[in-house]
Amino acid sequence: MSALVLAVPAKGRLQENAEAFFARAGLELVKPRGARDYRGAIARLDGVEVAFISAAEITEQLAAGAVHFGITGEDLVREMIPAADDKVVLLDGLGFGYANVVVAVPEAWIDVRDMADLDDVATSFRGKHDRRLRVATKYINLTRAFFGSHGIVDYRIVESTGATEGAPAAGTAELIVDITTTGSTLAANGLKMIEDGVILRSQANLVAARGAPWGKSERETARLILDRIAAQSRARLFREVRTRFAGCNDALLGLAKDKFGVTTPFGGPTSSGMLTLHCPPDNIHALASFLREHGADSVIVAEIDYVFTRDNPLFAKLTAAL
Amino acid sequence: MSSVPTTDIYTQADTLVAAYARAGYARVSPAILQPAEPFLDLSGEDMRRHMYLVTDAGGREFCLRPDLTIPVARDYLASAAAARPAGFCYLGTVFRDRGEASGEFLQAGIESFGRADTAAADAEALALGIEATAHYGMADPDIVTGDVALFSALIAALDLAPAWKRRLLKDFNRKATFAHDLERLTLATRNGRSEYQGVLAALANANPKAAQALVTDLLSIAGKSAVGGRSISEIADRFVEQAELGASSALPAETRALIERFLAIAGTPDDAAQALRALAAEAHISLGGALDLFESRTGFLAARGVDVRRIRFATAFGRGVDYYTGFVFELHDPARRVDGQLVAGGRYDALLTRLGSPQPVPAVGLAVWIERLAALGGAQSGGGR
Repeated sequence: MSALVLAVPAKGRLQENAEAFFARAGLELVKPRGARDYRGAIARLDGVEVAFISAAEITEQLAAGAVHFGITGEDLVREMIPAADDKVVLLDGLGFGYANVVVAVPEAWIDVRDMADLDDVATSFRGKHDRRLRVATKYINLTRAFFGSHGIVDYRIVESTGATEGAPAAGTAELIVDITTTGSTLAANGLKMIEDGVILRSQANLVAARGAPWGKSERETARLILDRIAAQSRARLFREVRTRFAGCNDALLGLAKDKFGVTTPFGGPTSSGMLTLHCPPDNIHALASFLREHGADSVIVAEIDYVFTRDNPLFAKLTAAL
Repeated sequence: MSSVPTTDIYTQADTLVAAYARAGYARVSPAILQPAEPFLDLSGEDMRRHMYLVTDAGGREFCLRPDLTIPVARDYLASAAAARPAGFCYLGTVFRDRGEASGEFLQAGIESFGRADTAAADAEALALGIEATAHYGMADPDIVTGDVALFSALIAALDLAPAWKRRLLKDFNRKATFAHDLERLTLATRNGRSEYQGVLAALANANPKAAQALVTDLLSIAGKSAVGGRSISEIADRFVEQAELGASSALPAETRALIERFLAIAGTPDDAAQALRALAAEAHISLGGALDLFESRTGFLAARGVDVRRIRFATAFGRGVDYYTGFVFELHDPARRVDGQLVAGGRYDALLTRLGSPQPVPAVGLAVWIERLAALGGAQSGGGR
């Protein structure tokens, strides 16, 4: 039986978050030969080989079909893989590793608010200085595509692999395209984001390689993994709300569905008026108030570990793509 | 495997270039490996994805030449002949990532530098282009021409804010977005300006010098120093310019109508010239020397034996390469048996300055797509199949 290869970031916050993510889905990543080993497995699940490598390398391996699944940022996928959607499938955003790829200019550029301003500045800069505006970035392809879509032609890319936000102050570029989570590093370097200059809102993704060898056993292993992940990610979107009251009826349920986006995993109230609802976390309090206004004495809300459903949306997405 | 037909193709092209050399164009063969910087600087970042780039141990970027115009121009500028009139011809491989198609293909061409007789030099370039198709058995290719200088003259003659002029000139090169741009510029009410609305409105009525000084002072009070290549006064200039433009101003509808009528003019050079004169008279603008040059060029073309009634001229025809400054042309197979132009050329008077020439050097040239011509299968001077 050939193993399914799952590539997980080998270092730092991304590794911790990825391991926590799999653990929540009941998939414990283990390193049988010690913490410094770069090969691992999943406890109590056969047929999986876990490779601990860097996020950039994961992206390359996914593009080459050398691993089946990988955890990596969408920014790297879009930047490093030409025609990415032909090579990989972004199965699910994982809710961590959030960062935006943005265009940022010096704060002193008070005349530049949006990309149209930047376009105009680029053209007049070239006229005045007889050279093009320089953009420091490691996101060469994303920058080129984004600037192209805004009709900007008078610029040059200066490749920068580290401390990009310092490039304008160092005089090696006029502006930058970089990844940022809060914008505080930009501000500390005297830079501001352009209003419509968000190129990509990125987060860590579970990515499948179209080009990996997807035999029968790999597909079956993938189905098991994705079933658990889907059950967990569905659980993340809801809280379970339980209550029991006589006045509960279909009309009331219909109203609750419209107003609060609840679902009824087990259908309407039982003969004794027992009701189980799944509700988005943001609407919990409003729903609890609503239920009590209509006669409920107590409403119990709990976090959910898993929601296993008959369908397996992530696996369906994978098989549709292969 | 393919060495026999390739050699055939080369030999046939070689006879063409030998004829160019006999006509007084010195044959040159620039280096295949070129510094990447001039290509990226002149053709823009979009060129990068078509280029084969390599980095040397010191981190300097080189490329396999994606065209021969820039290499020929650089060699000329480095030579003793720089700034003196000189003509060159070449035949060689160029390298561009074209997806499915081979990244390596043959181009022949001509570059003419430093000639002051603009109209005659333009006409000669087109005539030499027709010579190339004739060499492959096609004496009467479709001739498509344009003249970027006419559009520049129109924009210069319009009563428009500098920001509009800049923008329209830049966008002319991109046919796909130009119509969309006109639409947006006409309708545009700029959103998100509210933060500075008051300041902008106040500055709009101030004397520009005083306004500029005020903005400069404000920036320095706020402790904003210039970083990167834009100076504070440059920023202040444009800020005031935006104020003068008015926060919600748009391209006037009549200006847009005039631009659209101008860009709809097409036909034989003589018909187009007549239409341009009529439009200019009606709009009370002068297209200056650009229209005179246009008509004079038509005269030189006729004198060279080109049947000018067969030329399809269009004001909207501009090449996607932003270093063209005047006459542009393409020759096509009337039967459209191959994709794309067989020969393309034009005037690029700003190129040599951009490459570092201390004084402006007028330049016109053409490039011949050898494989496309060879694919037509016809042959006039032997060697073909």
